[in-house]
Amino acid sequence: MPVSRRAVLSASGALIVSFAVGLPISARAQRRGRTADTALPGSLDSTPMLDSWLRIDARGITVFTGKAELGQGIQTALIQLAAEELAVEPRAITLVAADTARTPNEGYTAGSHSMQDSGTAIMNAAAQAREILVGLASARLQQDRTKLKAEQGAVAAPDGRRIAYAELVSDRTLHVRAEPGSPLGDPAHRRVMGRSWPRVDIPAKVLGEVAFIQDLRLPGMVHARVVRAPSYGARLLSVDSAPVADLPGVLSVVRDGSYLAVVAQR
Amino acid sequence: MTSLVVNGRSVEVDDDPRTPLLYVLRDTLQLNGAKFGCGLGQCGACTVIVDGAPVFSCQTPIADIAGRHVTTVEGLGTRQRPGIMQQAFIDEQAAQCGYCIAGMIMRAQALIERTATPADDEIRAALEPNLCRCGTHSRILRAVRRAVRARQAAMAGGLSSPGLPG
Repeated sequence: MPVSRRAVLSASGALIVSFAVGLPISARAQRRGRTADTALPGSLDSTPMLDSWLRIDARGITVFTGKAELGQGIQTALIQLAAEELAVEPRAITLVAADTARTPNEGYTAGSHSMQDSGTAIMNAAAQAREILVGLASARLQQDRTKLKAEQGAVAAPDGRRIAYAELVSDRTLHVRAEPGSPLGDPAHRRVMGRSWPRVDIPAKVLGEVAFIQDLRLPGMVHARVVRAPSYGARLLSVDSAPVADLPGVLSVVRDGSYLAVVAQR
Repeated sequence: MTSLVVNGRSVEVDDDPRTPLLYVLRDTLQLNGAKFGCGLGQCGACTVIVDGAPVFSCQTPIADIAGRHVTTVEGLGTRQRPGIMQQAFIDEQAAQCGYCIAGMIMRAQALIERTATPADDEIRAALEPNLCRCGTHSRILRAVRRAVRARQAAMAGGLSSPGLPG
């Protein structure tokens, strides 16, 4: 996967070609010697590389989350967080959500954890990325970083000079571990967070575009129906699958212990 | 072969004439708007308009609608130019998970095409067959009322085909 991703990205001109996939959340518990001082905020703790969460290149800003949109509006909320800390408009952000090949593994989307875990990670990663960009601009412009300001996708100097984020990043810029503390923006000056934004997922849903898992149609896709046990703890003792296997369209009957499913063409 | 007119386009499908319209729309014609919810005509997620009337497409064999005009939510507008009902649902943010919404929109669209200025109880009665488990009902009602107003304004402004693109 890393090889093909690298090839794809370098062919398409992306400036950041590396990608870090973090440990799943369950691995957190296996870590030892972690204290409050060294723990990273939210899901950064299990997926600490900034470029697992953010990519900035000539095509724009892409944010990655392991959480899925279920109508709770998290795509919009996560975009708001990233836009706030990166000092860009929400429309400047492309969000990639819950793609097993591209996004951090954040486990289930459940229990009101999306903002707490993924949102916290994205907000802190975006703030740290912004500070990295300001630092790069400081060196480039020969200006003290405290005099520079990130705004509208660029770092601006008091004399009017500006360098766009995409011109500051190279392929390794964000391939760094997150730090425990982040220079989060001042809540008193928030432009995007804390305000209502129209949900980005609603237009596709009212227009009949691809919006639900049911709308995915993959080449050669077949369908399965799981045969559920009549009660919790029930065990499948025996099954005579031959009559089913001969039905038209049935491709196979899958049994794994007490798990039973029938795979068929549509 | 069964001849259908879907969103203004004539199509010939060779599915079994007993096949539910919903399956032909989703699987044969690859349209996403109509949803499979219950498959029993009890939830309304599959609602489409056939010759002006809302129908449960999961309960309608294609043999019954040969040659008739079927409109799905895709037929009401596009991203560049959403239909009046679609725009009203966007403006009112009238969706939580959104799975029922295409069916809601089609049933509401059929209502306002029949009854230009429905009273609130008429809107409620018309939408009664469609279920929303998220609890978006208040927003859905606001969206339909907004669409009614927008349609009236469009008609007053002389648009020839309010609610439909082009």
